[in-house]
Amino acid sequence: MPSLFLGILLLGLRVTESQASGLAPPQQVRLDADTEAQKLLVTWEDGRASTFDVEILRTELMEIVFNETVVATEDQSTGKHQWNWTSPVPLECTSLSVKVRSRDGQDVSEWSSQQILPGLDLPDNTDSQMYPEGKTVPVGSNMTFCCIVKEGQQFGSLLYKDTLVKETMLSRRTYATTMTNQGPSNPSGTNVVCSDEKKMIITGAVVFVGYPPMPSDLVCETHDLISVDCQWSKGRETYLFGMARQTYYTLNGRDSNMRCGLEQWDGNWTLVARNLLGEFRLTDAAELGHRVRPVAPVNLTTPEVYSWNASVGWLWKYNGYERLSLICQVQRTSHSNSSTQTYTGYGLNTVVLKDLQPDEKYNVKVRCGSQKNFWKWGEWSLPLSFQTKMDRPVAPDIWLWMDSDNLGRVLWKPLTKSESHGQISGYEVTLWSPEENSQQTLTLPQSMYSLPINVTDRWSKVTVTARNPAGVSLPANVVIPRHLPGKNGGKGRPNSVTFNGSGFPLSWVAHANASCGYVVDWYNTSCTHDCNVEWTRVAADNTNTMVQSSNFFAGVRYTFSLYACSSESTVLLERWHGYMQELVPSRTVPRLSPNQEGSDVQLTWDQIPLEHQRGFILGYTVYLTNASHLTLLGNPSPLTLPGTGLMCVCFQGTLDVKPSPHSMVHIVEDSVWDSSKEALVTVPEEDEEGTGDEEADTDEPASLRYYNQVVEEGSSSRGRPHASDSSASSTGSMDSGHTDVTYTGIQTSACSLAPMAHFQPQPDASQCAGGGGYRPQMQSASCPEDPQTGPEEHLQPPVGSFGGYQPQCSWKQDSPEADGGGLDQACLGSPTSVTSSQFLLPYDTSEEGKEHQSSASTWFHNLLTGKP
Amino acid sequence: MAGTRTRRGAGSEQSRTARAAALAEELHHECTLLLDLYRKKETFAEELTVGGESLVTVPPLSSQLSPNDMLWRLYSALQQCRNLLERAIGREEAVGNGGDRAQYENQKKTVRDRLGHLLASTRLLLEDGAGTAAFTPEPKNSEIDYPGNGSPFALKLWIYRIFNELEHWTLTASKTLKALHPDGATPKERRTRGRARGRRTRR
Repeated sequence: MPSLFLGILLLGLRVTESQASGLAPPQQVRLDADTEAQKLLVTWEDGRASTFDVEILRTELMEIVFNETVVATEDQSTGKHQWNWTSPVPLECTSLSVKVRSRDGQDVSEWSSQQILPGLDLPDNTDSQMYPEGKTVPVGSNMTFCCIVKEGQQFGSLLYKDTLVKETMLSRRTYATTMTNQGPSNPSGTNVVCSDEKKMIITGAVVFVGYPPMPSDLVCETHDLISVDCQWSKGRETYLFGMARQTYYTLNGRDSNMRCGLEQWDGNWTLVARNLLGEFRLTDAAELGHRVRPVAPVNLTTPEVYSWNASVGWLWKYNGYERLSLICQVQRTSHSNSSTQTYTGYGLNTVVLKDLQPDEKYNVKVRCGSQKNFWKWGEWSLPLSFQTKMDRPVAPDIWLWMDSDNLGRVLWKPLTKSESHGQISGYEVTLWSPEENSQQTLTLPQSMYSLPINVTDRWSKVTVTARNPAGVSLPANVVIPRHLPGKNGGKGRPNSVTFNGSGFPLSWVAHANASCGYVVDWYNTSCTHDCNVEWTRVAADNTNTMVQSSNFFAGVRYTFSLYACSSESTVLLERWHGYMQELVPSRTVPRLSPNQEGSDVQLTWDQIPLEHQRGFILGYTVYLTNASHLTLLGNPSPLTLPGTGLMCVCFQGTLDVKPSPHSMVHIVEDSVWDSSKEALVTVPEEDEEGTGDEEADTDEPASLRYYNQVVEEGSSSRGRPHASDSSASSTGSMDSGHTDVTYTGIQTSACSLAPMAHFQPQPDASQCAGGGGYRPQMQSASCPEDPQTGPEEHLQPPVGSFGGYQPQCSWKQDSPEADGGGLDQACLGSPTSVTSSQFLLPYDTSEEGKEHQSSASTWFHNLLTGKP
Repeated sequence: MAGTRTRRGAGSEQSRTARAAALAEELHHECTLLLDLYRKKETFAEELTVGGESLVTVPPLSSQLSPNDMLWRLYSALQQCRNLLERAIGREEAVGNGGDRAQYENQKKTVRDRLGHLLASTRLLLEDGAGTAAFTPEPKNSEIDYPGNGSPFALKLWIYRIFNELEHWTLTASKTLKALHPDGATPKERRTRGRARGRRTRR
C-alpha cells in the first residue's frame, strides 16, 4: 500500500513538472543526412532554450540509439538550432526516428513531433545492399557494416575476409557487424560478404584500410650545374593502391612521380604527398654549389699505353664541368687485383695510371665528385679495357744441383705471369770459363726448366736468361761448386730436423763468405736420379728459415742442404735430414738368416731400403718364437758389415724349448728410442743411403704371417707356429725335447767389429715414450697406454715413464705374447722371423733370469769393446 | 596435338573435333585454376556460391539438337564468355589495384588466349558441319556490362561470376565436343561411320 502511494505521488510530480514548464517544444524539426560521413544534421526552430534533449531510435525495432541532453545555440541569422550527430552505423542501414525537446534546468518542454530518416531497408528498396561500401579508412579504425537482405531473402551470415563474424539485427532486413582495430588491406581491399542461409553471396562491401603517406629523405641536387633533380623515399607502405587511393606527389606545386626534375635551381623545395587518408610535407634547401653530383664520364679512351703505365681520358656531357674542380676515382682491375686511385683537377678528363704490370689486361672505370663542397660521388662510367705492352722478363731464379762431383743440373723456376712480362719464348743457358775466357750457350724452349751439365774444371759459372717477344731478361748466375766439402757438409753427419706443423725450421751459424746470401735446397733422400729438387733463397743477414713446400709427404725422408753463395763460390755448409711425419717401416727386415756354428747362432739381416724405412731406424728387437710363445731376447745392438749393409747379432745362452720342434727368431724394426739416444746403436744414415738400390725382399716370410695371426688372435688363440711356415732361410728343425744352447762368441767370419765405436748395448730400448734427448718427427701420434704389467715389466719401463721419443703408432702390437700381457711393444715395425736349428737363450723373467740376461749383456758388451 | 589426316573431309573434321575437345578440356583446367586464384586473391570462402541469373544466355543445349546446332549454341556461349572476360580484364586494369598477383594476372592472359583458340577451333567445326558458315557480327549484349555503379564489391562479384561462367562453359564445351567426336557415338559420328577415319591423336 505505501509503495502504490509513492508511485502515484511521483507520477503526479512528473505531470506537474511538465505542465508547469513554460518551454515550448521545438518546431519544424528537420533531418539532413551526410551518408558518406555518417553524420545526421538536426535543425529545429522555436526552441528558446539552449539545451535540448535529443532521442534517436531505430524506427523499425524502436531501439534507442541516442538519448542525451545536448547544447544547441540559436543561429541568429536564421533563428534555427542545429545539432550534429555522427552515427556509428551507416545511415542507410535502417530508418532512424528523431525527436527533440527543450530543456531549461529541470524544466522541459513537450517532445517535438518525431522525424524519420528513412533507411534503405524500406520495402520499396527490394535489392540487397551493404554499407558502407568502398570506404578508405586508417589502419586501426573501428567500423560497422550492415547487410540489407533482399525482400523475401533469408539472412545467413557475415564474413570479414574469410572469417565468420557475429551480427546484430537492426531491422527486419538489416544485420550489422562491427569490426575493431582493422589491419591493412590487400591491394584490392578487404571484403565483407553477406550471404544467405544457403551460403550464396547476397551482397558485400569493400573497405580499404591503410596509412596516410609518409615519405622521407627529400634530396635535391644538380648534375648539369643548372637544373635540379629531386628524389625521395616512399617511406612507410600505405597499403592503398589503384588510381583512386594511391599516393600522389607534388614538388613545389608540380605533379611528380618518385623523382622530379626542375629546370632552375630554386634553393627551396617542398614535397607534398597525398592520398585519401591525408598528406605529408617534406622540405629541402641548399645552395647549388653544395649539391653538385657529377654525371658519369663518357667515352673513356686510352690515348697512350705502355708497359708500366697508361693514360686514360674521357669526356664530360656538360660544358660547365670545365670550370668545376673535380675529384675523381679511377678503379683499375686486373686478373689478380683491384685498386683505386684518386686524382683532382679542374674539368679533369685525363689521368695517368702508374705501376701497371706489363702484358696485363686492365679494366678501368671512373667516377667523380665536386672537390669543393663535396656532396656525393657521381655514377661510375662504363668500364674500359686495355692491355699494357710487354717488357723483357725478370731474371729467373736458378740453382745448380750436383748429382755428383762431375754431374749436375742447372735448375730454374718457371716465371710467374708477373715476372714474365709477356709470353716466355725460351731460355738461354751459358756455361762460363773465365780462366779460359770461353763460354758455351744453349737455347732451350720455354717448357724446360733444367739442364744437365757435365761439370768439369773448365766451367765455373752458369748463366740463365729468359726471353720473351719484348727481349731478354737480365742474366741469373750461379757459381759451380768445384769441390763439395764432404757430402754432408762441414759437420759430417747430417742433423735431423723436425717438422713443426708448417715447415722445417732450419738455423745455422752465419758464414763469412755468403755475400749473396744462402740457398737451401731439398729433395727426397731416397731418390737416385732425376730427383725433384726445390730450393729457397735466404738473405745474407739471415741465419734461419722455415722450409715450406706443398710437395712434402709423410714417411718420406728429405735431405736439406745449406749453401753459402758469393760471386766467387758456392759452399755447402750443412745438411739435415727430416721427415714431415714418421711412419712405421713399410716392410720387414730383409734376408734375416742364422749362421750356426756349434752352439752359437749368428743372425744377419739386411738394411731396410730407405724408402721403406719411413722414419729413422733406431734399433731392432729380436724375439724368439717357441711354440705358442714369443719371447723377447732383447734389443741387441746390431753390427754392420762395412760396405755390405748386412747386420748381425750373436746370441749365447741356454734355451729349453721342449716340446717345440723349432725355435723361430723374429726381428722387429724398433722405432722406439730410449731416453739415452747415445746409448743406442743405429746404422749411420750415410751408410743407409747406399742401400737404396738393394734388391727388395718382396716375399713376406711365412712365419711372419703366422706371427701376425698369433698377435691378432690374442690370448684366446694360442696357436702353435708351424715349422712349414718358416722362411726359406730356415735351416730346418731339431725335434728335440730339451736342448741347451750356449753362445761362446761372435762368428767373426760373418761379422765385423768395425762400428764398435757406436755399439752400446741397450736391451730396454723398446719403449713408446723416450727420454728427453730425441724429439720425434710426428704429427700427433700418441702412444697407447697400457696399464698392464706383464712378466717383462721389469725390463720394459712403463709407457710414458720418459718423454723423449714418441713413435708413430700406425702399426700396433698389444704384445708379442700370446696372452697379450707382457711386452709394451706398442709401436713396432713388421717382424721377420727365422727358424733356428738350435735353441737359443731363453728369456727368463725371474730375478735369476734377469741377472743372467744382464751378465750376458755385459759379456757381449765386453766382447765387442775388447774388454776381457 | 597435331592429328594425322588420312583423308580430307570427315577424317580431318574428326581430328579437328578431337583437337577442339582436347583444347576445351585444357581450357577448363585453366579456368578452374583462374577461379581458384581469384578466390584466394579475394579471400572468398570456398563454400560461398554466386547466385543470380547467368551472364551467358543461350538456349539450352538439348540432346535433341543436331550436332551443328549444338555447336552453334556452344560457340555463341563461348563468344559471350570471351566478351565478358575481355570486359573483366579491362575493368580490373582501369581500377588498377596493383599487379601484385603475377600468377593471377598471367592466368587471366592464358585463359584469354586459349579461349580464343577454342573459339577458332569451334568455328572451323561449324564451317565443316554447315558447309560455308555465314557469320553474323558478334552480338553486343549490353546486359553483360559491369552493373556495379562504381561499387568495388559489385565489380568483384561480377568478375567472380564471369570466372564461374567460364568454368561452367568450358566444361560444357569439353563434354559437348567429346560427345561430338566419333568415339562419342553422336548422330554426326554415326552419319560418317564407314568412312575411312584418320588416326586420332590424343593428348
